[in-house]
Amino acid sequence: MIRLAGRFAPYVFKTLWRHRGRTLLTVGGAAVAMFVFCFVGAVQEGLRRLTDDEDASRTLIVFQENRFCPTSSRLPQDYATTVRKLAGVADAMPVQVWTNNCRASLDIVVFNGAPPKQLRQARDLTLVDGSWGAFESRRDAALVGRSVAQRRGLSSGSQFTIGEMSVHVVGVFTSSTPAEENLIYTSLDFLQYARGNEFVGLATQIEVTLSPGADPDEVARRIDDTLAAGPVATTTRTKGAFQTSTLSDLVDLIEFAHWLGYACLTLVLALVATTTVMSVQDRIQEHAVLQTIGLRPSRIFRLVVAESMLVCTLGGLIGTMVALGTLSVGGLAIGAEGVTIAFRPSVPLAVLGVGVAMGVGVVAGVFPAMQAARTPIVTALRQAA
Amino acid sequence: MPLVEIRNLTKSFRKGDEVITPLDAVDLDVEAGDFLSMMGPSGTGKSTLLNLVSGIDRPNTGSITVDGVEITRLSKGRLADWRAANLGYIFQTHNLVPVLTAYENVELPTLLLSITAGERRRRVELALDAVGLRDRANHYPRQLSGGQEQRVGIARAIVAHPTVVVADEPTGSLDASTSEQIQVLLTRLNQELGITLLMVTHDPDVAAIASRRLHLDRGKIVEAAPESVTSNSRGALS
Repeated sequence: MIRLAGRFAPYVFKTLWRHRGRTLLTVGGAAVAMFVFCFVGAVQEGLRRLTDDEDASRTLIVFQENRFCPTSSRLPQDYATTVRKLAGVADAMPVQVWTNNCRASLDIVVFNGAPPKQLRQARDLTLVDGSWGAFESRRDAALVGRSVAQRRGLSSGSQFTIGEMSVHVVGVFTSSTPAEENLIYTSLDFLQYARGNEFVGLATQIEVTLSPGADPDEVARRIDDTLAAGPVATTTRTKGAFQTSTLSDLVDLIEFAHWLGYACLTLVLALVATTTVMSVQDRIQEHAVLQTIGLRPSRIFRLVVAESMLVCTLGGLIGTMVALGTLSVGGLAIGAEGVTIAFRPSVPLAVLGVGVAMGVGVVAGVFPAMQAARTPIVTALRQAA
Repeated sequence: MPLVEIRNLTKSFRKGDEVITPLDAVDLDVEAGDFLSMMGPSGTGKSTLLNLVSGIDRPNTGSITVDGVEITRLSKGRLADWRAANLGYIFQTHNLVPVLTAYENVELPTLLLSITAGERRRRVELALDAVGLRDRANHYPRQLSGGQEQRVGIARAIVAHPTVVVADEPTGSLDASTSEQIQVLLTRLNQELGITLLMVTHDPDVAAIASRRLHLDRGKIVEAAPESVTSNSRGALS
């Protein structure tokens, strides 16, 4: 059966090439739609990673009660010491956050200031450029995430200034958590002083690593109860819940965007089906001749579906590859209130893009293929004559 | 036993309120190696009979048996398999696949047979040789004349070594000179290769090359005039 299909492959390719203008336009349309589909997929994948991965459920964020933007949360830095002593807590790291924009933005710059040694232990960062030594020894040193470095053209030795913040880049890092690559790390002391004297001794949030087996909700409740006696009341949530809450407006938008993805697939379906219907209608006589020669109607059906699938898969492949390439070199991210969602290429996204295109191609070909296979031979020959 | 046995074959269809019966209880036997032509006014069922024998149309009643197989009882899929192995069809308008070369057009029926690539190549080359178009193998239909296209169509019809070849007005769209070349070719195929040929034509001169001539009128075979091959054939083999 497969060998027989292979024998007819030249016929399928040549048929598509005969109307290359029409074929290329359809491939182009499918590519554009699949490009958008993959972009939407990347955004949704980024959000899912941010809210559902292990780090999101095993790390707690202590934030000032009823505050949302990092500029408004001010916790005493020594809260970290108090939290570290509580049962179920493995470590607590004070983090000062500064962002150039609290609203949703595609080019948000977020500084995280943390004690360098603690940062190195707590974060899974791999330096691709620069050194930890320079980061720990220089006061205005900054480690820049790969995505920010790509967007802003930064590398070791660069001086980067935004607003009142000016840092010396001593390294570029990658991370297993793509959103991390949109951050710029400095030491906690530097960020506190750079923002002004009123920030000295303050942190925006305390990041709490849970002990193995500790119940996140129970530890969160314990932290808030303990700190309730302090000068600033807190709200403690898992990192995933914190990020979902912080990005709530964007989350709604991104969840709505999946309809855009479905719309793209419908567009590809309609485009490829229309092209295939036109192609079949042009070749009513040809299909009748092929059946007269001895091709079964089911084989005619498969040939038409194969044409439709090829066009759609080619478009899907091009659109997916261009989308993944853009995501790979663009270092794109969207963020709000200091939390960023990274758009990253991934193997599952590539497989999904091409697989979905292939599936849509098959579906798009079914109706025209049925039309081609069911037309009575004599009627088709007579119509053509 | 005849190669093709047609018994009580009736085909009718409805056109508006009118029931048209192009074939009405037709009986016919065709022996292996026969060259049979069918003439008659338009609408008398010539092409309908050809289509039924080819297995591309279904009768209302009656049976057609070809080489022991009652094709009127076969399913759609099995009928297609039967056509692939047993039928060659020569169309009036050539009906070559425009995206394929002459070689590839001739090769098409062999793709459905369980033969090796080498055997396929050999058969295609022999068929192209038989119609004198080996040197045009890589030409596309648009690069061929009408006569050459019809010769490619004939090569395609014989390449699978079919039990029977049918031709529907094979010279109908050709000029007189080209028509004569095709007549010579059909005669050669019948005489040299022993191919059983059933041909529909409007042209009495073309009908005259056949060894048997039938006349259809109002759904009936009203005249059957078997004659010797030699007295009616035009083209001698070179």
